[in-house]
Amino acid sequence: MADSPTPFERFVQGILPENPVYRQLLGLCPTLAVTNGMKPALTMACSVGFVLLCANIVISLIRNLLKPHLRIVIFTLTIATFVTIADRFLAAYFFQMSKTLGPYIPLIIVNCIIICRCEVCASKQGVVTAASDAIGQALGFGLALSSIAAVREILGTGMLFGIRVLPDAWPDWVIMVLPPGAFITLGLLLGCVNWIGILKARRSAK
Amino acid sequence: MMYLLDILLISLTAALINNFVLYYFVGICPFVGVSRKVEMAFGMGCAVTFVISIAALISWSITTMVLIPGAPVSSFIAGFFLPEQAAAKIDLTVLSYIVYIFAIASSVQFVEMYVRKYFPMLYGSFGVFLPLITTNCAILFACLTIMSHVTGVDNPADAWDLGRAIALAFFGGVGFTIAIVIMSGIREELELADIPEPFQGAAITLIIGGILAIAFMGFTGVDSGIRDALMPPVEKQVSTIISPQADILSNPSTFAALDILSHVRRP
Amino acid sequence: MRSFKESNLFQAWLVLLLATAFGAALAGIQTKLGPVIEANKTRETLAKIPALVLGEDPAAALASQKKSLSITLRTIEIERNGVKKFYTVYDAFFEDGTLAGYVAKASGQGYADKIELLLGLDTEGKTITGLFILDQKETPGLGNRIIEKPWRDQFLDQASATRLVVGKGNPGKANEIDAISGATISSRSVTGIVNNTITDIKAQLVIPPKEAAEKPAPPGNETGKIKENT
Repeated sequence: MADSPTPFERFVQGILPENPVYRQLLGLCPTLAVTNGMKPALTMACSVGFVLLCANIVISLIRNLLKPHLRIVIFTLTIATFVTIADRFLAAYFFQMSKTLGPYIPLIIVNCIIICRCEVCASKQGVVTAASDAIGQALGFGLALSSIAAVREILGTGMLFGIRVLPDAWPDWVIMVLPPGAFITLGLLLGCVNWIGILKARRSAK
Repeated sequence: MMYLLDILLISLTAALINNFVLYYFVGICPFVGVSRKVEMAFGMGCAVTFVISIAALISWSITTMVLIPGAPVSSFIAGFFLPEQAAAKIDLTVLSYIVYIFAIASSVQFVEMYVRKYFPMLYGSFGVFLPLITTNCAILFACLTIMSHVTGVDNPADAWDLGRAIALAFFGGVGFTIAIVIMSGIREELELADIPEPFQGAAITLIIGGILAIAFMGFTGVDSGIRDALMPPVEKQVSTIISPQADILSNPSTFAALDILSHVRRP
Repeated sequence: MRSFKESNLFQAWLVLLLATAFGAALAGIQTKLGPVIEANKTRETLAKIPALVLGEDPAAALASQKKSLSITLRTIEIERNGVKKFYTVYDAFFEDGTLAGYVAKASGQGYADKIELLLGLDTEGKTITGLFILDQKETPGLGNRIIEKPWRDQFLDQASATRLVVGKGNPGKANEIDAISGATISSRSVTGIVNNTITDIKAQLVIPPKEAAEKPAPPGNETGKIKENT
């Protein structure tokens, strides 16, 4: 077990160094679609976190029984089940939010983050490592989503969580809450993250 | 005439106005990943269009035949175990996500085998992309949209038929192809441009995607314009009254809702 | 010959086992949450009805007296240019069985996507008593101002006999709705849906007073029963 990562290591790795959105470019569909406000973004992050955690735990428990050619089928089956549970739960207790998110909750099934974590981590590691990996990745995803949503909501509506934060004189940049704003914000933030990475690498090289 | 107009508007909306990639953000992964070369992008687009139409056919059939309450297959099978009334109410829509994802996965497999055997030329052009498509959100998104137009309607007459479902899916795929081919054309030119290092690759692709999305916003409202121009004005009506929807009202949960309602207070 | 152990069916036992387990879990979820979800959907519409029929303040007053309207549902079917169209109409009755008004659910194409709305009409179907936008995806900041109350309130007390028109600059004029600046199409769409709905359902909307008095809303009675039980 010397070369396998510790649970804590997996947890920390997921948040920034292996951030699913900024570093691995995974799960871009929800990242763009639901970040026009903080509330839907956080709901989405929680749902993805729930599905990721449950799927990672289940896959990790049955990892020794997996046959290579049936692996993907089992991953998909597990993920689809937990997504349905999350979707029903939201529709029952957060009806308005579930209406806002619409098809993007079921689209978690094809979110590459989850199937990627099942494949890379959960099918090889123990339950504790897999669970902490899931939490780390989910936090990283939540961080990415909320950073984009914060920029878009503040610039687009002058509000954060529906509370006015910018002065009333601020002309709302409506484009930011429309689809183009999503692409542009993610592109610029991605560029900034890359830039910081390059600067860091240069400094350590010196 | 009305039906054709409806199909036209659904197609136009799916392909241009609410473009799958630039408006609904589905299929972003291939949009960023496979848009370096125009030929590759076009191959990917064709593969998606092909699979999305087949997946729509399968998922529409399964939804109407098996999943929705009162669907022929499920109520026939349940009819062996349950009284007729209960059998007609069997609602399997909770299984829809699982069913769709497997329908997509198996149709991808099927298309791959079929195309490889009978159309080797076609397979050469887009076969390599087929396995990637299973996790393409555009296809599941099309299935979900069709489902919402079949199950989420108040009146059975508003539910989509197969023609509308296929139109949405096929032209959604066409819209995806248009977006990804435009993108790859721009990216081929970008190879020659001097982009700041941090923005190379995905970042600049997304920003260009944003500009494309602004351009596609120009299509908004075209559909209502066409509808106004082609739709005949409101005229004569032949009318019949249908009795109250008894089964909705006899549902206990409706009463629970009505009960909650009676105590609604406003601040 | 392959032995049974190598056959695909045997290898798939884990898939089958998982499918059974997950199926059972989903069935449990559905039986537990299904009714709640259904109630959510119904409540979304029904909660709006008192205010749409009576106006905001009388509805609040009614609620504070712990009284409620009993609501029955019917479908109006019309045929326009050979195409069948359905409207869901909610008939609202006071507790003593007298009619309070009607609410019709209608939808139509907006600027960006479908607009779904509730339209309240008085007992004779002659005056608009309320308008509420249930669902819209218009441009934020421009078109989506159709959900704002001041704009919707322009429809209040408009006569249903003449078609409403969208104008600019003279609010308060009868039969004229002031367009939202920058969102003329959205304003026109809503007005158009309201006009079409009224034209479509006018002939069948009004229940003759006699009939209304004879059947004091059967489901309403049952609602009352449930209330007594709880």
